[in-house]
Amino acid sequence: MGVPAVPIITARFKELVTTISYKKGIPNMRITYTPHPITDRPAELCRQYIAGNDPNSGQPMLGQIYAGLSRPLSAEDSKAGFLPREERTRLLPPDTPEHLMEYFHEQGFTDGSPVILPTEEKVAEMLRATSRQPDEWVGQMRPSPPHEAWYYTVEMVAVNAVMAGARPEYFPTILALAGKGVTSMFSSTSSFARMVVVNGPLVDEIGMNTGIGAMGPVNRANSAIGRCWTLISKNLGGSGKPGETYLGSQGNPLNYNNLCFPENEAGLPAGWKPLHVQKGFKKSDSVVSVFSGWSMSDIAWYSPLPIYEVIRGWLEHFFSFGTTQATLVLDPIVAADVAASGHPTKESFAKYLAENTGTPGWLYWSQNEKALEQAKKGVEPYAGWLRQGPGAVVPVSRYTRGAAAGRNPAFMASRDSNETSTSIEIVVTGGGTNTFWSGGDFGYVGSASVDDWR
Amino acid sequence: MKSTAVKILGLALMAAAAASIGWTADPARIVVMNPQGIKPEIRKIPMAARPASLDGKTVYIVDTKYPNTKPFVEELHAALKAKYPATTWVLKDKFGGYMDDDPNLWKEVKAKAAGAIVLVGH
Repeated sequence: MGVPAVPIITARFKELVTTISYKKGIPNMRITYTPHPITDRPAELCRQYIAGNDPNSGQPMLGQIYAGLSRPLSAEDSKAGFLPREERTRLLPPDTPEHLMEYFHEQGFTDGSPVILPTEEKVAEMLRATSRQPDEWVGQMRPSPPHEAWYYTVEMVAVNAVMAGARPEYFPTILALAGKGVTSMFSSTSSFARMVVVNGPLVDEIGMNTGIGAMGPVNRANSAIGRCWTLISKNLGGSGKPGETYLGSQGNPLNYNNLCFPENEAGLPAGWKPLHVQKGFKKSDSVVSVFSGWSMSDIAWYSPLPIYEVIRGWLEHFFSFGTTQATLVLDPIVAADVAASGHPTKESFAKYLAENTGTPGWLYWSQNEKALEQAKKGVEPYAGWLRQGPGAVVPVSRYTRGAAAGRNPAFMASRDSNETSTSIEIVVTGGGTNTFWSGGDFGYVGSASVDDWR
Repeated sequence: MKSTAVKILGLALMAAAAASIGWTADPARIVVMNPQGIKPEIRKIPMAARPASLDGKTVYIVDTKYPNTKPFVEELHAALKAKYPATTWVLKDKFGGYMDDDPNLWKEVKAKAAGAIVLVGH
């Protein structure tokens, strides 16, 4: 900006702000902290905070702000140049496997569980599974937009693939994931989750599980590929350091494996395209697709209603942080039931759902303050909707593309452009042991060719 | 003298070689690869020079509009006005949501203000 500035931050984020200030090149930034949180606090309490001290420095807050804008700079404050960073070495100092494993845990290189130690021999074996050169750049990744991006080569991805327990034949899929440059541990105070869906001939080639337990820990390829994305995100993308590059208040257990599973293409009803074909790839292509959200619910439910109607009702009342997007993961026999009830394609079913779901009143009014003001002034149709009470359903869909685009703009900007006309995605997987399905607040981020990395 | 120096050098080389052999041949110790990526260099940004006093100057208070923090922002504005009346404190909402950039506002701050306070949730 080029003018004196003092940021005011809540005290909970001191670690984050200190490291970001350093990485942005202003290590002595004059920050004033307030007690945390300030959201939803009454004016009287805010007044007390402001009249009090910065909880970190112990200095009166107002005086510190004023001094931050007017106190002369030190010689260090005015200096240009480069700040020191530790040198990266290709190999780590030799040690016993036990000590190295502890070192990996201490450094945050793992997901908390033991990893395979990446010796040069194991990494070389992994590298033989791709035609790409070890020193070729794969991409860059950052924990979230304010953070710096880290860069990585094919060899560095291979190191993490070894650590995750991947077999060499999984490596092109892992490279394709890494090449997307999307972290699996997006840093936000809400605890994001990611999902990986694999399509194409590769699924059978590497023995992924599309059947019973496809989303569970029963298959090496499903598990290792999903796990590797998190190791890559931490080690190559700089993510996952609590307080600094990861802020999810409660964390998300889905981050361990990122819901990695293949679509059961053989189980798709006639006319339902595989996900990768929906996204513009050929059926013969092998593709990895990435989704982002927060949560996934398993719906084991019997009802006299047709199953598509149960799904519609669930979508209408479904509530989480991601209120404007949804992904349905249908078992093949659920997909068959839905198709038989008059939905010849995934797209037509998604369109039906988007057009026939409203929004619970309490949720609609809590997200649409201007509409609430209009309603209170008697402006129709809002006033009529409000009169029906907070439990009534407002006839406004949450699942149109426009609604989705209005959320999390920085994150949405990273998405590919080939979205469907609704924000509802449908994927089919599972072993057909019952008419159950899963649904959650995941939205499509993008896809990448695995074949490009073979 | 010369032969002593050669002997010492020879011993030193042998010791280094032995240490090196021991170092790599120790079956209990292994060498593994660094799993981390490459971090970018950090270019230091000199801070903007401060005025000797804010008296008679304008300072912008920029609200990034993190949800439900308006009471804090308004109370801060009122407190600064009361405590430092010789300074003009201007409260401005940043464009868009809290994650959106607002280059036009930064231009305005640079043109009109001697300083800025930027309030970031939570």
